[in-house]
Amino acid sequence: MTRTIRSVFEETIASRIRPLAEAMQASDLIRVSVAETDLEIELIRHPRPAATPAAAVVDPSAAAASEATYEIVAADQVGIVRFTRPIAVEGTVLENDREIAYVEALGIRNPVRSKGKGRIASVFVIDGQAVEYGQPLFALDRGA
Amino acid sequence: MFRKVLIANRGEIALRINRACQELGVPTVAIFSEADRQSLHVRHADEAFCVGPGPVARSYLNIPNIISAALISGADAIHPGYGFLAENARFAEICNDHGLRFIGPKPSVIATMGDKATARRVMAEAGVATTPGSGIVDSIDEARLEIEKVGYPVLLKASAGGGGKGMREVHAPEDLERMFTTARAEAEASFNDGRLYVEKLILKPRHIEVQLLGDEQGNLVHLGERDCSIQKPSHQKLIEESPAFELPVHVRDRLYEMALAAGRAVNYTNAGTLEFLVSGEQIYFMEMNTRIQVEHPVTEMVYGVDLVKEQIRIAAGESLNFTQSDLHPVGHAIEVRVNAEDPSNNFAPAAGTLTRVEFPGGPGVRVDTHMFSGAQIPPYYDSMIAKIIAHARTREAAIARMERALAETRIEGVKTTIDFARDVLRDPNFIAGGVGVEYLATSFLPNWTAPGEPASV
Repeated sequence: MTRTIRSVFEETIASRIRPLAEAMQASDLIRVSVAETDLEIELIRHPRPAATPAAAVVDPSAAAASEATYEIVAADQVGIVRFTRPIAVEGTVLENDREIAYVEALGIRNPVRSKGKGRIASVFVIDGQAVEYGQPLFALDRGA
Repeated sequence: MFRKVLIANRGEIALRINRACQELGVPTVAIFSEADRQSLHVRHADEAFCVGPGPVARSYLNIPNIISAALISGADAIHPGYGFLAENARFAEICNDHGLRFIGPKPSVIATMGDKATARRVMAEAGVATTPGSGIVDSIDEARLEIEKVGYPVLLKASAGGGGKGMREVHAPEDLERMFTTARAEAEASFNDGRLYVEKLILKPRHIEVQLLGDEQGNLVHLGERDCSIQKPSHQKLIEESPAFELPVHVRDRLYEMALAAGRAVNYTNAGTLEFLVSGEQIYFMEMNTRIQVEHPVTEMVYGVDLVKEQIRIAAGESLNFTQSDLHPVGHAIEVRVNAEDPSNNFAPAAGTLTRVEFPGGPGVRVDTHMFSGAQIPPYYDSMIAKIIAHARTREAAIARMERALAETRIEGVKTTIDFARDVLRDPNFIAGGVGVEYLATSFLPNWTAPGEPASV
């Protein structure tokens, strides 16, 4: 039985990615890159607004308000994502609407725009990565 | 053989194709809509791409996203399954333009046979009898003139149609205007093509279809027939069997000859089906489906041929490794389509969550399904949730086996057609065999009472 891409991927998640992710969670790291001879892993933690202790009483209106601060910019096309220069990284403040990336599909450049001002809170993809429909690309902090 | 195959479909047929690829050692790429993220076809494939939101126009018919998924995953072939893009000649061309092999016949053949009015003309030229009828009728007045030539009753049919959509029976002149308007509106809504044609309505015919397989080296074989006469009032098939029960040998032989003549006339390659209406000794060509069909498993059971694997092999340029004389049907196979529908409410489709799912097993039983306990039935797609196939030495034994299989089946959470199918299997006329396509709607249903309902007086 040949090993499928999926089974290799699942093994990699179990043996390499999960321990790293657990270590990340135990610390306050938001980004970890590890490069080895056969494998390169980059883990980026999703922005999690104001972590609420599980036991605490949650005020739903407050949670909704803080969650609404981040807006996910997702891919509309299946294709290869490319960052537009100047490359927006975490922390980049966008003064107004601009193209932050594009998804290349069938030779067509489909722009991904910020649709207004904001601060890049997180970048979920790397340049040249294959993306599917609805895949999160950036988190934007509109309140910034 | 292919490096990797993208499966441009969902549900049971996507799983069926995935199984064929896995057995051939070919890695697979699934596509899915946001509504199908948890679906079994996504889990079984080696890779998967979300191509759009739930509605089919933006996902399973989203050609740019599907082609893009194939290209970036390194696939070199696309299997379209049935429905969606399976008989879209333009899609087949686009695949070829991008260096992706479309697993099906040539785009020009799909175009010729897909346009039902053109197909009838081509078949008539090849000497295949077609039901008396017209070319495209653009207006009610034109339809009236054509109907006068063949006489009432007639069928108004969508030229781009299939699956009973955009099809209406017209029994008297006073019904024509209403039926024409509704058929055209339905054809426009379903196929974005409202063109209609007229066909003489053959009374009480059986729907009998012949399976063809042709390779690119010019070999063409048939794999017998399927009787699909048990149809819902909407003309959708509900129970199919192979072989057709008590079909006279000379009628059967003529069906095979006509199907092969039709296939040769268009140099047919890959899997295809010729659909005929059979009334006594009369045989009329209805249409050709240039794809794998829902009911293909009954043929697979009696012939021991994996039609989906053959489709993939043929598309990869391999020649058939059997000839007509190698093919011998064994026994009798029946398929019951299990739909999430309410038979006591005009087969209204049901969406929701399946709280409990148990499928049958045992000797001679095959289940093709994408369902499991906890699975969702999204509102956007076909209501078929499983196909149960029973194979035995005789028709009688196959019916008994199917009854046993359906009795083992439990589906909770939505209404299904299981109990209805069990009642059909126990019907003396069904058991006697050879009923026509109108039987279920005009004879069985009016006398049928849903379980738990008081019998009507």
